[in-house]
Amino acid sequence: MKHLWFSVAFAALVGTGAQAAELPEAIKQAGTLRLTVNSTYAPMEYRDPASNELVGLDIDLAGELAKRLGVKIVWSETPFAELIPSLQTKRADFIISGISDRASRRETADFIDYLTTGPQFFVMADNAAKTAVDLCGKKVGTTRSTSFPVEIEKWSKANCEAAGKPAMQYVPGENSIDVRNQLKQARIDAAVQGSETLPYAQSQEAGKYRVVGEPFAIGYQGIMIRKDDTALREVVTQHLTAMIADGSYKAILEKWGLGANAVEKPMVNASTQ
Amino acid sequence: MRTADTYAGDFPDLSGMPVARQLHWQRWLAAAAIVLVLAAIGRAFVNGQIEWTYVGRFLTAKVILEGIVNTMVMAVLAMALGIVMGVVAAIMRLSPNPVLKSVAAGYTWLFRGTPLILQLLLWFNLALVFPTIGIPGLWSARAVDVMTPFLSALLGLGINQGAYTSEVMRAGMLSVDIGQYEAAQAIGMGRLRALRRIILPQAMRVVIPPLGNEFIGMVKATSLASVIQYPELLHNAENIYYANSRVIELLIVAGLWYLLVVSILTPLQMLLERRFARGTLQIGR
Repeated sequence: MKHLWFSVAFAALVGTGAQAAELPEAIKQAGTLRLTVNSTYAPMEYRDPASNELVGLDIDLAGELAKRLGVKIVWSETPFAELIPSLQTKRADFIISGISDRASRRETADFIDYLTTGPQFFVMADNAAKTAVDLCGKKVGTTRSTSFPVEIEKWSKANCEAAGKPAMQYVPGENSIDVRNQLKQARIDAAVQGSETLPYAQSQEAGKYRVVGEPFAIGYQGIMIRKDDTALREVVTQHLTAMIADGSYKAILEKWGLGANAVEKPMVNASTQ
Repeated sequence: MRTADTYAGDFPDLSGMPVARQLHWQRWLAAAAIVLVLAAIGRAFVNGQIEWTYVGRFLTAKVILEGIVNTMVMAVLAMALGIVMGVVAAIMRLSPNPVLKSVAAGYTWLFRGTPLILQLLLWFNLALVFPTIGIPGLWSARAVDVMTPFLSALLGLGINQGAYTSEVMRAGMLSVDIGQYEAAQAIGMGRLRALRRIILPQAMRVVIPPLGNEFIGMVKATSLASVIQYPELLHNAENIYYANSRVIELLIVAGLWYLLVVSILTPLQMLLERRFARGTLQIGR
């Protein structure tokens, strides 16, 4: 039985191998992938405080991908809101930077979804809130350049206002660090961050924060590739599929404490929001 | 007595000749080259990845207009605070009292020596140092309720501006002839009255151009307050492109408004200069 599976898997590999997508000529010739990240989003991508090296789950994933493609990565950095322009202006070949797959971002690019994510409420450990509904009418902060402000409004409409409770008051923040600082000063009562970043934040400041409820909208983080770059999309999808099959994908997720956020296979534009 | 006629025989009479117009072909060439380059840049902008309908649509969007109002309110208030602090610091700096002198020097050193954005972030996060602020026994409040984005921005921008303005004011005061101080003293004026009546009015003429310059700088420096969530022009433009991803379009919208505001301020500065320079020789208007 085991042998049969192996041969099926082998046949499948050979099958895809025969029509293996090729890297675009320009990348192949340069021997480098130019990737742009916003390195303020630990543990997805951040600069290690001791070494100043760019590290994180996305960095490892991209590194493994590049190894298989036989190219080197040249990283550059940019504010979160400038990621999509970087892709459009071809400063970046693709974007892997903790960016959520959203319909509104798909006008010029496709997403290869590789990680589950969702906005997550959290509070200071001594806060009285037990469930997310307890946060109705309270000040809730999040990074203004993300999709979270809209998510909070939607959730508040459906769960606070619909139940006759006061709406959540959204307070803008500049990035996750700024939002947590506002939380510490009690400028806001609760905060929202991507569920994939909270374990790391909690490990940095042990016992300081407590999550409230579950991630309140399920979505995916995706690798963004220009719509006209179909060859690159195929190559990346193929190698990502292979990395999931041989366990190297899972190993990277486990290393960053996010094994639970794994996907079964890479999907294109799969988020429903 | 010699007349022009005396020379008529030696020199040809040129008085009736038309004056040849110089062609200045280099100017024409340079102008043409500049126009060509500008046209090429303009064409690139028109054909680039810019959706101009978004620029048109958001140019007068409510959020953008509110942003300009907030930008101007902040620029005027912060500049006013800066001028008050600057004048006081300059007077202290030029006083014979060593304590006042060092306090003023220390103020300039501290606030000119650190980046503005760092100061703004410190004011905004002041509650991490002082959870409550107030007057002991009389009144106290949570620091975060007092240090709103508005007040953090006002203090950050105004106090920083004061450090720079103090140097402008000091230069203005030093530009007034020492004889004016002595004359004021001779008719029995005290130091402060002499400053108010004699020195500062004369110093104004000198400080208006640099102060106008600083104010134009301030209009744009308010954009730094976007990081502490003060809803000025750039902050609001960013919020729009965070939602619709039209980054360059919204940056163009904000840029056009900043240019318009500065274009209005420049002639106003001229008027102000003329007013303070009345009664003196006006050079190079």
